[in-house]
Amino acid sequence: MKLNLTIRKGILLLLLVFGLILAGTTYFSIRYSRDVYVNNEYEGVMDDLRVLGRQIDEGLSANVKNPYVFLETAASDQEEYENFSFVLRDSTGTVLAPAFAAGKTLRMKRIQKLKRDGSACMADLWGDRCFIVFYQIPGRPLDLVAVYDDDYVFEDVYEALRLFVLYVVAIYLVLVLLSWFWIIPALERTLEKKQRVESELQSARDLQQKAVTQQFPAGSWFDIHAELRAMKEVGGDIYLCGMVGDKLGFVVGDVSDKGTPAAFMMFMLSSFMRSRLQAGMPLDQLMDEVNELICDNPDYEMFCTLFMGIIDPKTLEMTYCNAGHTKTILNGSFLEQDPQLIAGIVKEYTFHTQTLQLHRGDRLLLYSDGVTEARDESRAFFGEQRLLNWMEQRPAEEPATDTCQALLDTLAAFRQKAPQNDDIAIMCIKI
Amino acid sequence: MKTTITEKDGKTIVAVQGELDTDTSKEFQKDVEPLMEKHGLTVEMDFSQLEYISSKAIRVLISFQQRVIAQGGSLKVVNVQPAVMEIFDMTGLSRSFLE
Repeated sequence: MKLNLTIRKGILLLLLVFGLILAGTTYFSIRYSRDVYVNNEYEGVMDDLRVLGRQIDEGLSANVKNPYVFLETAASDQEEYENFSFVLRDSTGTVLAPAFAAGKTLRMKRIQKLKRDGSACMADLWGDRCFIVFYQIPGRPLDLVAVYDDDYVFEDVYEALRLFVLYVVAIYLVLVLLSWFWIIPALERTLEKKQRVESELQSARDLQQKAVTQQFPAGSWFDIHAELRAMKEVGGDIYLCGMVGDKLGFVVGDVSDKGTPAAFMMFMLSSFMRSRLQAGMPLDQLMDEVNELICDNPDYEMFCTLFMGIIDPKTLEMTYCNAGHTKTILNGSFLEQDPQLIAGIVKEYTFHTQTLQLHRGDRLLLYSDGVTEARDESRAFFGEQRLLNWMEQRPAEEPATDTCQALLDTLAAFRQKAPQNDDIAIMCIKI
Repeated sequence: MKTTITEKDGKTIVAVQGELDTDTSKEFQKDVEPLMEKHGLTVEMDFSQLEYISSKAIRVLISFQQRVIAQGGSLKVVNVQPAVMEIFDMTGLSRSFLE
């Protein structure tokens, strides 16, 4: 999968922003180091200037506006600032006062109008790049200007800065190259993989949804409803129900594996069970066949707990077969279920059915272990006892749909913020 | 969940402590994976400190037993606590694990 244009643009934009931040940081760090460097290295000169400023201030005539003081050096002494001297001129360059400092008074070739930029700036003066320091005398309209030779002052600093900039640019270029040739393709590969897994999960979820009964049978003598809440990861809970002649048949099960193979197996099992049930196959025989079917596919390493039942409307007798599934609840107590092996472990195992006489008003609750093994935030189980108590309290007239929904709500309330840790399948049958 | 594997009198004792649920059963599977490749092992699962087993963990346990048997060995479970015993009874596995 190729990253779409928006993501590519986003990455380039990020790189651009990063580049701008780098450039800005570099620029300000150069300015900052220049100021720090000058303040540290030329502290003596600045002190001289302050003293000089006071002298000038005291000696100046009151009607001179905006005078400038230049720190100048002889052409032959350009590298020795000890020989600098100061000249006071007005803005037209007219000498207002002769040399003040101990050194020589120097000849001015040309005065270039200086642009003030904070306490220090770079400027072209006499054709050379110079570094200029301004010093404001507090309370007086007078600036002192010290001029230093650019290369001389910043020889070391510039060397370091040049290297620094070089490194920054190199790192930036490496990042751009890495992004283009490695990070973006890696991201594309990861996304592609994720998308593949997602689509596989989605098809497994679709299979799971298709495997369970979509349309619940309706009849005058019963009310049936079921709910399935699969986890994000596809599991294998299942329910089926339908009319077998005039009888009501139903199945709730839990295939103990996850992912597409489980969903596929479940789909196969549900089709198999549906067709056999409709053909009127006895439950024990059906369970034997399901058991064999799973055992014949050992590559899946899959097992299945199942509860199957059929209710006869004439006698209200329920025939049921249980393969290691959770205990079905009849009204407020557990149904008597002979322990039988989970389907899919021993091919030769023979299952048997049991029967139970139901009565008008009876209510059955079938569920997967995701219900009793739901955990709250303190990792305590919802448990069988809590489920029994809950079932006992259901109003007699409550429709099966509402019972299923109420149980889902109760479980959600019980879990609080704890995540659902397993599939949940619920089936409620009212006679 | 903690799995301790020791050798005693020619038997491989696998003691499991804590809870075997959907998450920890994956750890358990990793812990016992090396044993699945060995021939003729006599494995004894000591469940005296196992408080809970989920149906997903049972699947791992069954796979483990089937692999051990396929390699000519045997696996049985001892010292099962009531809560776990109930699950074994419900799933009909008591016989295959305990006898």
